[in-house]
Amino acid sequence: MAGETLIAILILLPLATAAVGLAVKDDKLRRPFIILPSMALIAASVLLLFRVLDHGTITFTPSGTWDPIILILELALLAYFLYLGVIRKHVLVLGLAGFQLALFCLLKFAWLPSGFKAQPALHVDLLAVVMCLVISVVGSLIVMYGLNYMQNHERHLGLTATRQHIFFFFLVGFLGAMNGLVFANSLLWLFFFWEITTLCCYHLIRHDLTDEAEQNAMRALWMNLVGGVAVVGGMALTYQASGTLSMMELTGFGTVGPVLLLPLALFCLAGFTKAAQVPFQSWLLGAMVAPTPVSALLHSSTMVKAGVYLVLRLAPAYQDTYLSAVLAIFGAFVFMVTSLLAISQPVSKRVLAYSTISSLGLIICLAGINSGLAVAAAVALIIFHAVTKGVLFLVVGIVEQDIHSRNIEDMEGLTARLPVISGLAIAGMIVMLFVPFGVLFAKWAGIQAAATPFSEFYPLVVVFLAVGSAAGMVFWVRWIGRLISNVTTADGPPAEVRREPRASVPYLVVFSLVGGAVVLSVLAAPLVSWLINPAIAAMGYSPALDTAGWYLTTPFGSFSPWALFIVVALALLLPALLVKARPEEVMPVYLCGVNQPAEGPTFRSIADTPAAVETGGMYWTQAFGERSLNTWVNGAGIVLLAALFLGVIM
Amino acid sequence: MSGYEWLIGLAALVFAPLLGGFLRGIDRKLTARMQGRIGPPIWQQFYDFFKLIGKARAVTTKGSLMWVWGYLLLTMLAVYMLFAQRDLLIIFFILAFAGACLIFGAFSVRSPYSHIGAHREIMQMLSYEPILLLAAVAIFLQTGTFKVSGIFEHDGPLLLTLPLVFVAVLIALTIKLRKSPFDISASEHAHQELVRGVYTEYSGRFLALIELTHWYELVLILAFVALFWAQPLWIGVLLALGVYFLELLVDNIEARLQWSWMLSISWAAGIGFILVNIILIELVFGNVLRL
Amino acid sequence: MGLVAKARVKSPWIVHYCCGSCNGCDIEILACLTPMYDVERFGILNIGNPKHADLLVVTGPVNRRNVKVLQTIYEQMPAPKLVMAVGACACTGGVFHNCYNTMGGIDKVVPVDVYVPGCAARPEAIIDGVVLALDKLSKIK
Ligand code: SF4
Repeated sequence: MAGETLIAILILLPLATAAVGLAVKDDKLRRPFIILPSMALIAASVLLLFRVLDHGTITFTPSGTWDPIILILELALLAYFLYLGVIRKHVLVLGLAGFQLALFCLLKFAWLPSGFKAQPALHVDLLAVVMCLVISVVGSLIVMYGLNYMQNHERHLGLTATRQHIFFFFLVGFLGAMNGLVFANSLLWLFFFWEITTLCCYHLIRHDLTDEAEQNAMRALWMNLVGGVAVVGGMALTYQASGTLSMMELTGFGTVGPVLLLPLALFCLAGFTKAAQVPFQSWLLGAMVAPTPVSALLHSSTMVKAGVYLVLRLAPAYQDTYLSAVLAIFGAFVFMVTSLLAISQPVSKRVLAYSTISSLGLIICLAGINSGLAVAAAVALIIFHAVTKGVLFLVVGIVEQDIHSRNIEDMEGLTARLPVISGLAIAGMIVMLFVPFGVLFAKWAGIQAAATPFSEFYPLVVVFLAVGSAAGMVFWVRWIGRLISNVTTADGPPAEVRREPRASVPYLVVFSLVGGAVVLSVLAAPLVSWLINPAIAAMGYSPALDTAGWYLTTPFGSFSPWALFIVVALALLLPALLVKARPEEVMPVYLCGVNQPAEGPTFRSIADTPAAVETGGMYWTQAFGERSLNTWVNGAGIVLLAALFLGVIM
Repeated sequence: MSGYEWLIGLAALVFAPLLGGFLRGIDRKLTARMQGRIGPPIWQQFYDFFKLIGKARAVTTKGSLMWVWGYLLLTMLAVYMLFAQRDLLIIFFILAFAGACLIFGAFSVRSPYSHIGAHREIMQMLSYEPILLLAAVAIFLQTGTFKVSGIFEHDGPLLLTLPLVFVAVLIALTIKLRKSPFDISASEHAHQELVRGVYTEYSGRFLALIELTHWYELVLILAFVALFWAQPLWIGVLLALGVYFLELLVDNIEARLQWSWMLSISWAAGIGFILVNIILIELVFGNVLRL
Repeated sequence: MGLVAKARVKSPWIVHYCCGSCNGCDIEILACLTPMYDVERFGILNIGNPKHADLLVVTGPVNRRNVKVLQTIYEQMPAPKLVMAVGACACTGGVFHNCYNTMGGIDKVVPVDVYVPGCAARPEAIIDGVVLALDKLSKIK
């Protein structure tokens, strides 16, 4: 199939599926309508990958009829945001949407010559394909997972009329918009898809229509509108300065020299809002009111990834500038503080949200470091983060529907109750946290890149990265600890071991994501040489990672993921298989001798009444709580942003 | 590179426990002498070890046993990689994984004592991890590589240009060695509120495995200290032994601190020292990567 | 004598439990750890946790409240293990003899291997008792 067809499929198929799905209100009927196009989407993205690997970057401009269609839809969309501001009486949304609409009209009808087009409209290089793979594969899997989840969800809420068709309309449409966004070369097109993602995000967050959902959706909307305004402003300034609206020309492929930094800084600001960086983190934290597939999608493959994609995509344009240096500090700062904030969170989804923000901060930091090594690490992190974060959200969703809580404290001893799913959760967290898995490979390369003196402020960046990664350890390790805590008593587990539906779609999705994460980690070296190195070469960086002998070698260090993986797997699996605990050897825990005999962790309390031992997680809220840190964190974030813009303007 | 690093690594795996156990014996002897006692024979650790091996098996849950093996084997992996002169960052990451295994082991039993110990152990990691990573970075700024082999190719001892990093590393090592004032996760001496913290629920041969892991850890830590004077290496070894003596001295004159103290000391002093040292490198000693 | 058996004799870790003694014997036991007597030179450690200990050292006559505690602690010690009764109270009930609430000696509750008499038992006697216990340990196969 020709590359153009594939691209068209990848953008239009989800949109078409979404539109058709709106008419399908029957659960049974919806399944094939969702699953088949999802499979097709995965296949198309893989085909596109091979196509681009073989034939290089694809650029193309669809026929001229699309431009007016997009313009009309675009204006309708902006007007809709304005309308939302009016009916919800939300001043911020109203103001931002109005400003955005006015600025866009001014740009489109007054500044741009009529019939202006940024050629080519679409430009699909390897970075775009990597993003497309993440969106299409992880995203489609999450959509399929959503089928079961939403049925349970509505049953749990006791809805009479289903609202699932609306849900899937936005969920599936999201994928198409994201694909369009990463393929777009024309900034006008990019802006169009950008606004669609904002729209989808808004509607998905408010899906349950509770007060809290409405409120959080509005917050997400206005914060993302800030990003939208920044994009329009960036476009206007770019056009003023260089007469082009083509991403390729901006990033140094075309004829125009380096443009003013200010529009680039505005684009980065837009990226920060989408990626929920400090001080915009609250919209992503609020987004957890939505059903779990939404959080999974927002966090792993879409939305927030659009933000970091934009920052990373523009990286070659601002290489060796003040902007780049500040981006590195800002990203590393966000990485650190959000990891620290996550320590104090007992709610699983909030922990995941903070850890997402922190990973995105790391990606932005790497984009700011802006060397071949850093950008390669950023691309690797986008891939691995999407897969593992997808796993963790989906697992939390399954667990939540089972135990009816998203609190980590309620997950104590989950391995005894839901062994399969909690095993998968632990696997996901280990992949997230430890060597030799992919996320850590990105951190490893990232620290190396940060330690090469790329700017005057590199010591600060390195310190932020070191503290942040230690803080990340704290909340993941504690969470795993809560899961594996043994709560069985002499009479067996407290709640009977549940029979888990291992062959159901949600489980299969999680299985395949965990498997994918592990396989990709083990094969990190071939992945780098085959995909990541060419991808960053296409962006104009010289590949910094050598993969001879399947070792990952940078100029400063090396390790071999597969060899380490074998050793680590042996060190953990062999004992698990070989170590036995015979029943006669089992002994109760030490409780100063006041154990209630033969009743597990129970002790004799006052007047010989038995009292069960309870253990809880520590969250160190005094030291790391939002209450004590938020003011400082947001303040520092705003100061950094101000420094960014002041420096760029001057 | 001579191509025989893997052999050195394997040899280290064999000899490290002997050396480590011996050093721990010296520790107990010296501690006793500092308190005006005679103290046990320096082979005492080995007696303890074999005695523990010979005890009847008693377990609380299977999970905790699994993780103990992980703790031992991953620590051995880190020792191997250090002596085979691999990537320092990866060695620290693996060490973190090993430490996490110990925590998981403590978490997998529903025992108040081991849970408190596990949480404190997490705080210890939060305290020393950044210092170790930053120390690796500071060494990198002098040698131009994260590989341990690069330290041996670097001429001139690191200590002279990284004195403050060395001090920071000492703070981290006190925590890692679980010596006072930072023995907060598993009190070294019994009869305290923690019982034995993370180790409370282990007995017999599994306690012996933990002891063995400590020997490996000790050697690993002292070897890392010795790298600060890698040429000639015997000065480095003396340096490491000197540091060990210092740790004992501090252990004997200090009381246990709270975790919040530990965190502020290790972050404010540890990270602060390293930052100052990196600035010194930039301004005075010269950063090899810029040359 | 095998390696393990030899090591056993060289490294007896004790857990000390006071079953309602007057604390006189407890003080004497702690005195054994001080530089004056320094039992650590024989590898003896006061470990404070039955799961780690080889030798249970008990003082006091055992009353009806703490009898279960004593039993649990004894049960939680992995074999081979020994019990040492220190002081007249622990041996026979001592000054608490025939009290309504005491059991009159710990051998009513757990099997005792070594009795150390005295009110309070002197550190020398306690060390003597430990040596006796070690003798017994060395005979365990
Ligand atoms: S034997 Fe004497 S000194 Fe010892 S506990 Fe009994 S009364 Fe006190």
